[in-house]
Amino acid sequence: MADHGMTPMPPSLREHSRKASIVGVGETDYAKDYAAERKRPEGWEPPTIDDLCKLAFDRAVADAGIDASEIDALALHYTFGGPEPEEMTRHLGISPEKAWVNGHIFAGPLPNIVGRIISGEVKTVAMLFGIGNRSSGRQFGGNTYSAGMAGPASYYYFHPWGWSSQAAHWAMMAQRYFAKFGKREEDLGHVPMIVRQHAGRNDNAIMQKPFTIDEYMASRYIVRPLHLFDICLVNDGAVCLIVTTADRARDMPKTPVDIAGWSEAYIEQDKFRVMVDERLRPQIQAAGNEALAMADLSIDDIGHFEGYDVASIHLVNQIEGFGFTPDGTGIDFAQDGQITLGGRIPTNIAGGNMSANYMQGWGQVPEIVRQLRGEGGARQIDGLNTSLSAMTQTDCVHPVIYTRGD
Amino acid sequence: MAEKRPPRALEPKDKPFWEGCAKGELLIQKCGKCGHRPWPVVQECEQCGSDALTFERVSGNGKLASWCTFERPYYGDLMPVPYDTILVELEEGPWFISNPLGFANAEAELGMPVKVAFIDCEDQHGAYRLPVFERA
Repeated sequence: MADHGMTPMPPSLREHSRKASIVGVGETDYAKDYAAERKRPEGWEPPTIDDLCKLAFDRAVADAGIDASEIDALALHYTFGGPEPEEMTRHLGISPEKAWVNGHIFAGPLPNIVGRIISGEVKTVAMLFGIGNRSSGRQFGGNTYSAGMAGPASYYYFHPWGWSSQAAHWAMMAQRYFAKFGKREEDLGHVPMIVRQHAGRNDNAIMQKPFTIDEYMASRYIVRPLHLFDICLVNDGAVCLIVTTADRARDMPKTPVDIAGWSEAYIEQDKFRVMVDERLRPQIQAAGNEALAMADLSIDDIGHFEGYDVASIHLVNQIEGFGFTPDGTGIDFAQDGQITLGGRIPTNIAGGNMSANYMQGWGQVPEIVRQLRGEGGARQIDGLNTSLSAMTQTDCVHPVIYTRGD
Repeated sequence: MAEKRPPRALEPKDKPFWEGCAKGELLIQKCGKCGHRPWPVVQECEQCGSDALTFERVSGNGKLASWCTFERPYYGDLMPVPYDTILVELEEGPWFISNPLGFANAEAELGMPVKVAFIDCEDQHGAYRLPVFERA
């Protein structure tokens, strides 16, 4: 397989299922930091990645109920750069045996760390992701990308036609979906509207105020037919996950969350046809089936889904692709109440990337851990045992399956 | 008068494509080993890995596969919004990002037949001709 620039993942072997567990999670104050960045009161300074990471780390250690000295490895993940490992360990006040930069977005890092834990290379790992993409004024389109930079060719190749931005990828998908399945903007609007309702039960969600379909239709377009509300947020923050062996996790205070399955699949050719027409269905199906087989589960066993709602239509693609509902029925499925509490598959239950936070796939893992522990409060899914996350970009998908470890 | 546009990707591998456009020909690579037609331009065939790729002229006929309209200015004054972009399924297989000529996205229909045309443009690398699509 070609090098896709993602963190390498070990194979999806059944004997590697449920051998490691998440025992602690921490995240930053997304809502508070976002509000401060928008207001920029006198004396406001953008948060540093160091400080964001420290806060997430301290919270994860406290959540795990362990002493920071028990962490023997620090795996750092930055999309747009961050402090060197030596500098970060000093800032966190720990002296792990091993500290290194292990990747960026949530496409591979967790299986990678589980593989290292299984091999005995590391025992208890703090996985940190930090990003300052809002306060740095990052734009996700235009001349941000050019030839020779990391990123797929579709991020820069079509500049002469004025075509760029991740949003434009989702817009092309949505327009074809509408034409093919007889849907309209106001139908799709139900998906972000429901995700926003979910955020209303999450105090740390950046956008908690509900909106109506009329308000959705009145909101500005980013790339027509997609509105502002169809597109993910851009914010600063950090996420920390503490991962250890499943055995050791059983001796810790909180209910362990076991890593039961994973996989990955890429569009290798004809990107625009596969992305816009098939909406990554072959990739999502292949990776989903492999992850389920590794976990010895079927899609019917999955009770909670955290999909990469970088755009509303892409969440529809994933709900359909994994098989929660047939091709072309995802919007109806959502409108029918099936992606919310009490429905078939509560999805992005804390507000996802469109309303809670945009941490490039990392931000949804703490919610999975809370839900599987039964700490979901007003948004707890009853009797939950199994969750699925999927980091799904324009050309690849990385599902992970988590099970309650008791 | 030439329209000013954002920059082309102009690595050596891309040049034959733009030289074809200058002559009013749409050239798409073809793999000598497996026959695959990759777009955009690649160094190695994305299907079989071969580097036996040659540029061959395609008919320029296709049908409309999707479309979207930019309402947020990603390129500042260079591309004043709103402007339309389209995705064309070329007769020979590849799906091609472009702009509509002589029609607007408001009139677009899935599967609408279109054909290539070339307009005079200019970027930081100089003057060139850009392939766009009109109703067939």
